[in-house]
Amino acid sequence: MKNSKYGGAYVPEMLWETLKELTAAFESAKNDPAFQKEFQDLLKNYSGRPTTLIFAERATADLGGAKIYLKNEGANLSGAHKITHCLGQGLLAKRLGKKMLIAETGAGQHGVATATVAARLGLECIVFMGTEDIRRQRPNVFLMERLGAKVVPVEYGSKTLKDAVNEALKFWMEHLAEAHYCIGSVLGPSPYPEMNRYFQSVIGREIRAQLQEREGKLPSAVLACVGGGSNAMGSFDDFIGEKSVRLIGVEAGGIGKNVGEHASRKIAGVPGIFQGYKSLFLQTDEGQIAPTHSISAGLDYPGIGPELAELYESGRVELTYATDAEAVDAADFFAKHEGVISALESAHALAEVRKMAPKMGRDEIIVATLSGRGDKDLFNFARAFKDESFKQFLKDEYERK
Amino acid sequence: MSENNALEILLKSGKRPLFMAHMIAGYPSTAESEKVAAALVQGGADIIELQIPFSDPMADGPTIAVASEDALKAGATVADSLEILKKVVGLGKPVAVMSYTNPVFRFGIAKFVEAIKAAGATAIIVPDCPFDTEEGKALLAAGKENDICIIPVVSPGVPEERLQELAKDACGFVYCTSRQGITGATSKFSNDLADFASTAKRIFNLPLAVGFGVKSKADVQSLSKIADIIIAGSVFVNAIKRGENVEQLARDLTS
Ligand SMILES: Cc1ncc(COP(=O)(O)O)c(C=O)c1O
Repeated sequence: MKNSKYGGAYVPEMLWETLKELTAAFESAKNDPAFQKEFQDLLKNYSGRPTTLIFAERATADLGGAKIYLKNEGANLSGAHKITHCLGQGLLAKRLGKKMLIAETGAGQHGVATATVAARLGLECIVFMGTEDIRRQRPNVFLMERLGAKVVPVEYGSKTLKDAVNEALKFWMEHLAEAHYCIGSVLGPSPYPEMNRYFQSVIGREIRAQLQEREGKLPSAVLACVGGGSNAMGSFDDFIGEKSVRLIGVEAGGIGKNVGEHASRKIAGVPGIFQGYKSLFLQTDEGQIAPTHSISAGLDYPGIGPELAELYESGRVELTYATDAEAVDAADFFAKHEGVISALESAHALAEVRKMAPKMGRDEIIVATLSGRGDKDLFNFARAFKDESFKQFLKDEYERK
Repeated sequence: MSENNALEILLKSGKRPLFMAHMIAGYPSTAESEKVAAALVQGGADIIELQIPFSDPMADGPTIAVASEDALKAGATVADSLEILKKVVGLGKPVAVMSYTNPVFRFGIAKFVEAIKAAGATAIIVPDCPFDTEEGKALLAAGKENDICIIPVVSPGVPEERLQELAKDACGFVYCTSRQGITGATSKFSNDLADFASTAKRIFNLPLAVGFGVKSKADVQSLSKIADIIIAGSVFVNAIKRGENVEQLARDLTS
């Protein structure tokens, strides 16, 4: 996507050379059989690809419309799609002679994935995480530390994902020689949006092949939740040329439509330039970045990947949103119907499946990407369902000698 | 830059090193901003760098980031900043406005440059707006139109080929960060700063300003060997936060 409306590299000049080197490494890796072999081998024999495409039989019967399939990215090592772009970037970092991976994280999934890859490739790892996100995704902090990463709390701003990105960018500028910044979504300065989409596009290719084998046709719609847009762009990319396939991104509707109550760029995003790229952002009239809210830390971010913003404005990709409550309900519905415990992020896509499927024909197929599994959200689910015995367990655990 | 531009006159005056003192519009409050500027000028500042606060300043360390956040929390708007700018200009020193791309972009790039021109500024620094982006080009065009210098910000490690590109459109002075990294009163200067500074001076053929991490008279002395203009910022913000005498601090640094 050259000469596009959004994207670009709006960064201080000190990053110019580093981004140029990264772009060159990415371009040469794409055409390098040795790189491809190593990347594919890691996806298959390390992360566990292809991930399964689950036919949600009981949910389909209950909702009474389109046939529902779930692309189970939660089956990846470390529990979400994030490891795919981390493996790609980790290999590039090694090519560039970097000794350290740094990352921002919201839900902690990208942080865990980066820490996993760093451990596997023998790189140091530092992860920046807002203190608000540490509070709601504490289990992932524990995991990152067990994986050998250092987790640095970010205490200013909204103390969430955007502030973690700021802090990672700043640390990076101070450590350009040794660190590669492993950005966790299809955003940031060029080449990150294109690069992470390239790595994640395996999701869509697998969906197409698996459906072809099982159903002999294309889906009517592909759905994915959208934080920055990496699992969505990965799911959509292979279908962009297939005009019969609706591509639907589901954002965080939070608890309302006022500023600070949601993280939906469809509701209130306007063009802006932030964190190195031009796209749609939640912001004030004066261009100050607005506060956001979502029950899911991974969707709680004011910007959207620039390529996805363009696909949305061109009409190729539709955006919609699910509220906090709808996401929790949808996660519960699919747990009870399919035995699948979804991450709260992915549950936003599932919520839209529940709304859409009944309105579609039985001969139609709808695929929702389950970007991550829900283990990390144990505490959030327990709170949402007011699980008193879990609370008691926590108390007991705390008091246990 | 036109010959009667206040910045041009100062740069041509031959006084070296010049001292550019940084402050944030709206910090510690809109009402007190003018007093801060006056203290800096009384203390010997030759140029004022007035930062219009942005919620997420990517090139700034915690000191300026938190102070910007405080200014915004207290309600500072771009309109307030422009009012402050007028008052600071009234103190008689050239003023360079500093901000980030997004607030300028939202305001409208040409409109923004016109507004700071009308308020009396002579230059603008936008560290996350490279000259070769659409917005960078718009900024340069508006700068030419309004006799406002668009100051490039470079750092040790930026290759010569890139400096040469930037030099084509540079005017006024070059802002050279003392290291790769962000603003803040505590860190050290890059080992290759002196070499880089001389390369940058040769390529840009403009006065060179060096900033980031300047906190003491000793820093000023060591930088005065390589810089035409020395910039200090976080050290003043910290002093304001601690309720210290800003004028005295400026005098200690400049005397
Ligand atoms: C499970 C899961 N899904 C989705 C996201 C959102 O990111 P993206 O929109 O880039 O896929 C995250 C981010 O942390 C996540 O952990």
